[in-house]
Amino acid sequence: MTRYLIRRLNLFLATSLVLFAVLFIVTNQFPVEQGFALTGILSPSAQQIAQINADFNLNSDSFDQFIAYLHQRLSGDLGISATSQRPVAEELASVLPASFELASVAATLAIALGLPLGVLASLSRHKITQHTIMAITLTGYSIPVFWLGLTLSLWFGVQLGWLPISGRLNLLYEIEPITGLILIDTLMSHSPYSVSAFIDAILHLILPAITLAVLPFTVVVRITRSTMITIMDQTYIKAAEARGLHTYRIVLRHALPNALIPVIKSLGLMLGAFVSYAMIVEVIFSWPGVGNWLVSGIYQRDYTVIQGGVLAVALSIIFLSIMIEVLHTAINPLSRKELYDSN
Amino acid sequence: MTQIKIYQGGEIPSLTRKIWHTFADNPFALAGLWAVVALLLLAVFGPLIAPYSAEYQDPRALLLAPSWDAAGTVEHFLGTDDLGRDIFSRLLHGAHLTFGVALAIVLTSLVIGFIIGSISGMMKGLKASILSHLLDALLSIPSLLMAILVVAVMGPGLDNVFWAVGIALTPQFVRATHQAIHEELQKEYVKAAKLDGANMIQIFWYVVMPNVWDTIIIQTTLGISAAILDIAALGFLNLGAQAPSPEWGAMVSQGVDNILTAPWTVTIPGGAILCSVLAINLVGDGLRSALSPINN
Amino acid sequence: MPLLDIRHLTIELDTPHGRVKALERVSLTINAAEIHGLVGESGSGRSLLARAILGIPGHNWKITADRMMWDGHNLLEMSSKQRRNLMGSEISMIFQDPSSSLDPVIRLGIQLIEAMPAHKKTPFWRRTKKRKKTAEKWLHKVGIKNTEKVMSSYAWELSEGECQKVMIAMAVANQPRLLIADEPTNSMEVQTQAQIFRLLSKLNQLQGLSILLISHELETLSRWCDQLSVMYCGQIMESGPTLEIIAQPYHPYTKALLGNIPNYTGSVAHKSIMPTLPGSAPALQHLPIGCRLGPRCPEAQKQCVNKPNLCHKKNRYFACHFPYNKEQCNDDPTPTR
Repeated sequence: MTRYLIRRLNLFLATSLVLFAVLFIVTNQFPVEQGFALTGILSPSAQQIAQINADFNLNSDSFDQFIAYLHQRLSGDLGISATSQRPVAEELASVLPASFELASVAATLAIALGLPLGVLASLSRHKITQHTIMAITLTGYSIPVFWLGLTLSLWFGVQLGWLPISGRLNLLYEIEPITGLILIDTLMSHSPYSVSAFIDAILHLILPAITLAVLPFTVVVRITRSTMITIMDQTYIKAAEARGLHTYRIVLRHALPNALIPVIKSLGLMLGAFVSYAMIVEVIFSWPGVGNWLVSGIYQRDYTVIQGGVLAVALSIIFLSIMIEVLHTAINPLSRKELYDSN
Repeated sequence: MTQIKIYQGGEIPSLTRKIWHTFADNPFALAGLWAVVALLLLAVFGPLIAPYSAEYQDPRALLLAPSWDAAGTVEHFLGTDDLGRDIFSRLLHGAHLTFGVALAIVLTSLVIGFIIGSISGMMKGLKASILSHLLDALLSIPSLLMAILVVAVMGPGLDNVFWAVGIALTPQFVRATHQAIHEELQKEYVKAAKLDGANMIQIFWYVVMPNVWDTIIIQTTLGISAAILDIAALGFLNLGAQAPSPEWGAMVSQGVDNILTAPWTVTIPGGAILCSVLAINLVGDGLRSALSPINN
Repeated sequence: MPLLDIRHLTIELDTPHGRVKALERVSLTINAAEIHGLVGESGSGRSLLARAILGIPGHNWKITADRMMWDGHNLLEMSSKQRRNLMGSEISMIFQDPSSSLDPVIRLGIQLIEAMPAHKKTPFWRRTKKRKKTAEKWLHKVGIKNTEKVMSSYAWELSEGECQKVMIAMAVANQPRLLIADEPTNSMEVQTQAQIFRLLSKLNQLQGLSILLISHELETLSRWCDQLSVMYCGQIMESGPTLEIIAQPYHPYTKALLGNIPNYTGSVAHKSIMPTLPGSAPALQHLPIGCRLGPRCPEAQKQCVNKPNLCHKKNRYFACHFPYNKEQCNDDPTPTR
């Protein structure tokens, strides 16, 4: 098992290296002066120019420049944002928790609602239930996320007025950012309005989370349904039935653990689309996360912001997909069989 | 003398015919197929049958409601937007952009991805693993991030979207082909063919390919729907097709300003995107269920 | 009174080619503490019969029978809940591929403990421990020595023989009256097969367990079974005590099956052709009318398009118009469908 983990770590390092290389090549292609692209300082003084040349090895060949680039980025220097003049690393640290919060709430919602519905769809014998669920999931899978967000904010936010449609928290509340996760911060703050701030934060979270959760929800329902149908035909389920076990016991203890394995694998495959959708949802609902920050960076052609944002998002995708793969191997005893065979 | 059929012999249909029959038995899949054919025709002939051109602005008919509303007229069948442009004509002109570019992207990615995937799938060793590391890195950059990078380098525009979405979609085809071929090579009949004396190319063409093409077809339908959604999303964010273009995502972003007074400027292009992606997904689903008995 | 009494069971399936009678007027009688063998080629509908007895039909099956009695109770009139209670407590089944009959992601110990009977009398804090001890006791009884290793491993880590013994332990732990064994030794080597059959025979003698042993090998069944039923293509051809059937078969199909067994005594000439029936078993969509052996039978004549009734002579049953004991079936032939 340790050998497998070391191999995965190896993969993570190798893929990250390739990512840095791609970013380096792209940075050199930006249609601006190289010093500006790397650090974000618009008109550097002579001393700053010398510093930049030294840090990034701009006078040597490409390979040395790449090493210097790697060294700079890994030590935390992501440059300065040209629009706000603050260090990119600092801005990144303030927007990442917001995205993380939105993504995790949406993912939890999708799995918590999708799994039971998928199991129900696979066990039910009525044609109408099956067709309805398939129709709903297919529509959810095909709907453009920006249109869904606009329509939901139009109905619930404007016409019915139930839910707010932008931002994370009403501006009247002043909450200190301790962890960056607003649900925890509101509960932990000492202000007398902490509970109502918490409720307000949840209200702000509902619409973006629902919009984002639609895609993973449909994927989970469809994959769970098809896996459960395959599994219920297997011999061991028939043998368990022949022993007289009740259906719910068979489903919960035997079928569902077997079904979770392909579901987790497919969640890992869906990660890229999920991140794209998360960025669009953030733009529509003005959610102050990485996606919103990155898109406003591209509108204003802020090259250091673009580099920093792409780096952060791509690295987290690589990390998450490796984590999901490790989780998939850990809960699947059959993979140990393959590990023994291959070792 | 013609053969007199006395026994009710069972006619065993060929594989393609069987797939077609299973596909056609599913009414949703068939409806999807009709819709896809209609979309293809619109993408090719749309600009010819549109009543107005995409940029024609009628200053007397600003923000006209669609024809089924009391305030609408039949000349502007789906209403007009805030500059007086007919939405129906813009939809038809835009079909050619959204749908056509998506098809072009998918075809290019398919060809390139298939070639790279087959080569890497059929060979083993260090070169294959380097290629797969490179692919994993590219796969971890979703299409939106790739588009941002491309726009940062080359500026916005629909042809840059072609590159962005293409570069983001090709690794998926490569990975799908690579995995499918890799799985096929583990099967016993490949070993049997090798023992018969087939070389690598013959094994690839006669043994591996016929079993892999169904995965590729399903991946293609998934790719087309993903490409349409990505092009529309980039148009919406003004990173792809720019403002006066009739591309459907750009139409949605141009209509957002008037969403309260004239919601049809947002709903109708969005509905068009929904319908086209739905049609393709119906066809993809139908194909998958028609092909699955063969896989089992 | 027989333990299981089935008379004229018919199972109809809905296929794309219409309604097909997969099993046609099958009759079976099993007494207590008897090993009853059911022999037939693959595709003759033996597993369908087993599932119908057990009570797990497929969803497109239509089951009709004149009589289907279990220990005096009518199985056809029972609600599904009562059938469920019967399953596992009085009738159990073991399947063909033992390693795929066990859940691959759960350790065997947990599955075993789940299959053990719930002791209602022990207080609940001692129940799991008691069930674990019962599980180990049953593992010893079926012949597995190192229970710790078996209980902590997964299904794919053990050999087929060990898996089948675990399945038998799970099946008989609830002290059923009838065990249906659907080709239990299909994928095993000869020594393991012998072990399994000896175990089944021991259970039959010590606990009075009736066993319905389904197989396609006549040799094995003739060694271990008291009674034998021969099935072909969804119809029962012959039934009766094993020794008498082997010594003097009445039905042409039984004679052909016996003739298929290679003659190892050396009295047959080198390279002589082995006797078989011409043709092969018909597919579901092309079933013959009347006696389904008709097209292949060496004794077939025009009368065979009417299905023969099951004749009863002493303690043997046979369904043939032209059996080898030269006595005609006395009942009127049933009209064709």
